Amino acid sequence: MAAYDKTGKKQDERNATLLALTSSALLLPAYQAAQADAPPEYTELGIRYSKYAEDDIPGRRAFGGGSERYDIDVAQFHLLAPVADSWSVALDVQWEDMSGASPWFVGESPNGDPKVIMSGASIEDSRTEVSVTTRYYFDRGNAGFNYTNSEEDDYDSDAFSLDGSFNSADGMRTYSAAISASDDQIEPTQGSVPTNTLKDSKDIRSAWVGVSQIISKRAIVRFGLSYTYREGFLTDPYKSRDNRPDEREEWTLGAGYRRFFEDHDAALHVDYRYFDDDWDVTSHTLDVAWYQNLSNDIQLVPFARYYTQDAAEFFDVVADTSQEYYADDYRLSTFGAFTYGLRGNKTIGNWTLNATAERYKSDEAYGLYSGDDAPGLVDFWRYSVGVNYVFK
Amino acid sequence: MRVEHSFKAMGGPCRIRLDAEDESMARSAISAAVAEVERLESKFSRYREDSLTARINRAAGSGEPIPVDAETVALLNYADTAWRESAGLFDLTSGVLRRAWDFKSGCLPHADALNALLPLVDWSLVRWQEGAVSLAREGMEIDFGGCVKEYAADSAAAKLREHGAACALVDLAGDMAATGAPAGQAGWPIGIRHPLEREQAIANVSLSGGGLASSGDYERCMLIEGERYGHILHPHTGWPVRGLIAVSILAPQCLVAGSSATIAMLKPAEEALGWLQELGLPWFAIDRQLSCHGNIAAG
Repeated sequence: MAAYDKTGKKQDERNATLLALTSSALLLPAYQAAQADAPPEYTELGIRYSKYAEDDIPGRRAFGGGSERYDIDVAQFHLLAPVADSWSVALDVQWEDMSGASPWFVGESPNGDPKVIMSGASIEDSRTEVSVTTRYYFDRGNAGFNYTNSEEDDYDSDAFSLDGSFNSADGMRTYSAAISASDDQIEPTQGSVPTNTLKDSKDIRSAWVGVSQIISKRAIVRFGLSYTYREGFLTDPYKSRDNRPDEREEWTLGAGYRRFFEDHDAALHVDYRYFDDDWDVTSHTLDVAWYQNLSNDIQLVPFARYYTQDAAEFFDVVADTSQEYYADDYRLSTFGAFTYGLRGNKTIGNWTLNATAERYKSDEAYGLYSGDDAPGLVDFWRYSVGVNYVFK
Repeated sequence: MRVEHSFKAMGGPCRIRLDAEDESMARSAISAAVAEVERLESKFSRYREDSLTARINRAAGSGEPIPVDAETVALLNYADTAWRESAGLFDLTSGVLRRAWDFKSGCLPHADALNALLPLVDWSLVRWQEGAVSLAREGMEIDFGGCVKEYAADSAAAKLREHGAACALVDLAGDMAATGAPAGQAGWPIGIRHPLEREQAIANVSLSGGGLASSGDYERCMLIEGERYGHILHPHTGWPVRGLIAVSILAPQCLVAGSSATIAMLKPAEEALGWLQELGLPWFAIDRQLSCHGNIAAG
């Protein structure tokens, strides 16, 4: 007697004809519905450690010479488990340990160059985030509910979200939507720098709709539109020259393209995002990634991102505090940024090891918009290593 | 408890077996699966005047594209993949060759009649885009029979799953799709028929998911002056192929098993055996000397 599962599975991945026939067959509706919306078959467990390290700020950009900037150590835990026939539950916990210095304000040096005054290597903070998601799967879609709590010494946030996706009868199109709300409390830590509030709060509401469409047996396109409304204390409490409006409306338009190349056993992902808000910030993001499958269950993913943004209307390199609203935060300035990196996965039995390294560099000269160079613009490295285990 | 339902569809005897505790659930799952098979038959059968296939074939050569839905486009894309992967052997337009062959008559076709049909066998003349399909040459025919029975077995099994069935077997005249295994067994036990002794199994397999499809050349053949002419016709010559006489394949989809079996039958025997070996699926084949091959053991 031949057991179907034991015989062909390994070769299944190797033969190009079988791969072509199977990937083409799987686009038929009979396989789509069954595949798209079933709860995960097995329980998955994952842990990951990441290091985020900002480059030192050079002496020519800061008063008092070069200075260290921010470092964050991140540990993450992930659990996803099927519950009964049509439910799943996920638990994500993240711990962050932050330390270092960040820009306090920008002043003018005697020769007229803007320079950053750093906060001093005095900030120490830690953050714990716990997120629980439960998801229900039905014939043609799924719906999820998420609760996330994040706590820092100076910040507490509770967020809820609801999302759902629904597949067309032929399985070729998927409609998705989500709404979320969060309630954040800010109570800046006193002692390192004077803060511009003692206690405040903000609310965030957002909504998202999207559609994805299989356009051929190897390609998928997707579009999304989101709206976010923030209200409350939106100023950075640790920046000396920062006073922002207490409302912000944001719109994002996104488009993505995925294409599988059978000959190379690889997939190309291209994503574009347009962002606009009522603070006059406009940005464009272009992401490109190449998912290359190799032998021995290895996947390598080189990726790159280009980002460019136009400054907020109340931003100045040296803040003009005579205005109603003002800020010198480099994150609201005109700039461009390149990110490039490499991600790798290796599966060994029930284990998957993964590692990522990426470099981020930003500069006013990289941007498509013209503006003044904010001296606080940051460059950083990010590394992460992780391991996942599937109970099967 | 086991619930069984036999019916006739896709030109042959069909049977669904389902193990379930709740009989009403089992009955409604089976009804949905049978309805799915009937839906696909009425949509794709070339024998039905009102079918999509008949409409596409009637419009052949007219230049008028016939609108089709996404499922049909996906099936055309799949047939296109099989055509390319088989270097033109798997060709859903080859059905017209049957007009020249009458296996009941015991006579070979006239060369003229066959030559007149060959230009109509050309998958590259099937055009589809933006949800419409057309056949470029008058007299051409497309016949989804080469893949829709296997697809229907998979789709019926998917319907059973959707209706809560965890253990069922769909058998559409030999094309099978399973979901789950009967209690205490590795899978549904299935005997592969001996090519000559029809009631005897030449090999046994067990199916707990995915599909099993078979293609054989031992039925519907004619003997002329000691030469055996089978009904499987080579799309490029119009003559019966002289390769293997039976192939059975197991695959995660009955559709993939079926088209792989068809491609193997169309290749010369030696080439077919090598191709099946490389394909990497569990398979069983019988050559013209009645020798058994494959990684599924005979007996």
